[in-house]
Amino acid sequence: MAKETLTEVITVAQGDEQQPSKPRSVLPWMAENGIFIFTALLILGAAVFVDGFASLVNITDVFHRAAPIGIVAVGMTFVVISGNYLDLSVVAQVATSAVIFLAVSNVYGVPIAMLAALLAAIAYALVNGIAVGYFKANAVIVTLSTTYIGIGVLRYFSGGSIFFGPEDGPIRAFGTAKLGPVPYSALVLILVTLILAFVLSRTNFGFLVRSFGVNESATRLGGVNTGYVIVGAFFVTALAAMVAGWVLAAFSNTAVSSMSTGYDFQALAAIIVGGTSVFGGKGSVLRTLLGVVFVSVLTNILVLSNITFGYQQVALGILIVVAVTIDALSRKVGTR
Amino acid sequence: MTPSSHTLGDVVLEADSITKRFGGATAVDDVSLSVRRGEIHAVVGENGAGKSTLMRVMAGVIPQDAGEVRVAGRVLEKGAKSSIDAGIALVHQELSLVPEMTVAENIMLGYAPTRLGFTNSKALNAIAQKALDEIGVSVDLNERISRLSVALRQFVEIARAVAREPQVLILDEPTATLTPAETDYLLEMLQRLAAAGMAIIYISHRIPEVFKIGNTVTILRDGTQVFNSALADTTPESVVDQMVGRELKADLQSRRTAKPGEIVLDARGIRAPGVNGIDLTVREGEIVGLGGLVGAGRTELVRAIIGADNRTAGHVTITRKGKSATITTYQSAIRNGVAYVPEERRTDGLALTMNVADNITLTNRAELSRGAVQLRGKIVKFAQNLAEVVGLRPPIITREAGQYSGGNQQKIVIAKWLGRRPDFIVLDEPTRGVDVGAKAEIHRLVRDLADKGTAVLVVSSDLPELLELSDVIHVVRDGLIMGTLPAGEANEKNVMSLAAGEKMVDA
Repeated sequence: MAKETLTEVITVAQGDEQQPSKPRSVLPWMAENGIFIFTALLILGAAVFVDGFASLVNITDVFHRAAPIGIVAVGMTFVVISGNYLDLSVVAQVATSAVIFLAVSNVYGVPIAMLAALLAAIAYALVNGIAVGYFKANAVIVTLSTTYIGIGVLRYFSGGSIFFGPEDGPIRAFGTAKLGPVPYSALVLILVTLILAFVLSRTNFGFLVRSFGVNESATRLGGVNTGYVIVGAFFVTALAAMVAGWVLAAFSNTAVSSMSTGYDFQALAAIIVGGTSVFGGKGSVLRTLLGVVFVSVLTNILVLSNITFGYQQVALGILIVVAVTIDALSRKVGTR
Repeated sequence: MTPSSHTLGDVVLEADSITKRFGGATAVDDVSLSVRRGEIHAVVGENGAGKSTLMRVMAGVIPQDAGEVRVAGRVLEKGAKSSIDAGIALVHQELSLVPEMTVAENIMLGYAPTRLGFTNSKALNAIAQKALDEIGVSVDLNERISRLSVALRQFVEIARAVAREPQVLILDEPTATLTPAETDYLLEMLQRLAAAGMAIIYISHRIPEVFKIGNTVTILRDGTQVFNSALADTTPESVVDQMVGRELKADLQSRRTAKPGEIVLDARGIRAPGVNGIDLTVREGEIVGLGGLVGAGRTELVRAIIGADNRTAGHVTITRKGKSATITTYQSAIRNGVAYVPEERRTDGLALTMNVADNITLTNRAELSRGAVQLRGKIVKFAQNLAEVVGLRPPIITREAGQYSGGNQQKIVIAKWLGRRPDFIVLDEPTRGVDVGAKAEIHRLVRDLADKGTAVLVVSSDLPELLELSDVIHVVRDGLIMGTLPAGEANEKNVMSLAAGEKMVDA
């Protein structure tokens, strides 16, 4: 019910005599297709104008940095499309997964470590999903709180120490392996994207996530167990964050509770820049992948151009404000 | 009630050759009309005829593509502000009040009087009270909107327009949610306002209302103006013909002969907020109508029966093919063959930005998938078939539901339940805001369902509809059934007197 604001009621009311043809306005078109053009232009521009961008080393580096954030972002796309804004707790989820994965694998081996990380992911998904889906608690506040709980628990058990992986072994091998210039982590990103794209567009669950995002009430009155749909959306996000934690741990071969700071915001940036609407219902996993590419390349350009971290943050912030504004404006125009 | 007999003043508002396009489609095509002081100018037409679009252009809510609007001879600039400043007030079809704010705050929303930057609540209450007095409605200024009935909200909405002391008052389907008594009250009020010199533009589907109070009528069809004349010079039949553009065939099969079968729905002792202990049964092939005033507790009753809202007491069973099931939650109702067409199709019935196929198949996902994966071919075939069965026009299942007119949207909602072949269907205000043609088609669909053995429960504030459809009518007042009238005995008068109780409604 949170989505039913006054403006929404009015916009819906004004949609009374909508016409069959698509609105031919610039903003909806931009929100729809802008990402394809901007991403292409950005990559082209970077290749031509930015020294060192097109080098093999740099491209591998971009992939390495993009992979974990990207995996988180494609997973979180489900929560955004379901109309619940975002899952801030991905920050805690990625760190939890990475720390558990390295710490447990050092003692019990990789499969048990994966299982342990999975249990943590399930816990996050259930707490977030049940609070938001069944008890209609606000997603932003719930996930902000689970972030605190998660990071707090992690600090308590790890004592704030850094975990290191073994110098050799399967984790290290995976973390450094490449296919041409493409590290394995990026291949995982692509695999996760393809699976989740299928889930969102071709399965009943994916359909219900989108339907819920467009109109919660109509979906419920269609006889759908909407609580289950929301728990599912948080599950997808948690599983993706768990995989991102593994990939991040393997790549850096260290794990610490603060390692994924900023992932919430960067993932959100990728999702929104990709054109998935924060109002729910509209968007896709493949768009998020494009958004990840855009945000990662932009960040890389800033780094290569010796722009300090502070300004990088400013740039990312501006980018989100612009993208979210276009989303909101195009929605206004689009409902005509 | 007869059309106002006072003499009309000067022309105050003129719309000259207004054209408005949305993308490629023309919603309003070269339409002109003018209104004089003291005149009630009716604008009629089917849904999608362009009425609301034309009104929104005149109120400056949306800009026109061609033509101009003049107030007292002066051309209006585009934009809502210049229209408001020129004294045009629009009462939207859908309510736009803030539920959590008080009556007074809602009436003064957007231009509350201030002193040193703070709201001057004394002045605010005074102006709001004056507006309410002017339309003759008594309601507590400090009551929150969410606690008012739909009808009262409608009047508050009008008070809000009147408080701006407009020269021209535009009302878009103000009686869609009102009962006959409330409607009469509203119509009298408009006549009073007109007699005091206000120019009123009145949009309606209901032709009798138009003839009761209107001086002039403009008929729109498919965005063009097909007729414009003094109402004294025309007849209701001719207006309907012009509106529809085709002869309306008299409905021959209006009285069904089928005998109701076994009891399908058995609800006992239903209590919920607004429902004070009701027993209700609906048989196979029977259409049961629930009459009553808005706010009598009918919607609350049906929602409590099917579990869409919690009930505080009561027991509900659905029996089909000899097997009974107890209904506790809404999902258990749906699993047991219940279908629900809600009152508010835009907010509860449809995902407006999803396409027709997605909307129709929402309720049928299980049979349209293998495991968790959707079968696209099946989905398309299934949706296409149902879209044609309900007479969606045009039956394009890839088009967004929100791009269809009200009548078509309602057909989509019905289509999604037809696919489940329900044993018991609840329809709450099935044809509210629906044009004449689609209304007849929806009635036919409802009868077909009953003829095939579905138990049907219809809530309707549209008396002729209730009388035409129902085999038996229960009249609800204050959350109780006040009387039950079989089809042969029910008429507008006895249903209304049961609904209103001894005294008339105070609006």
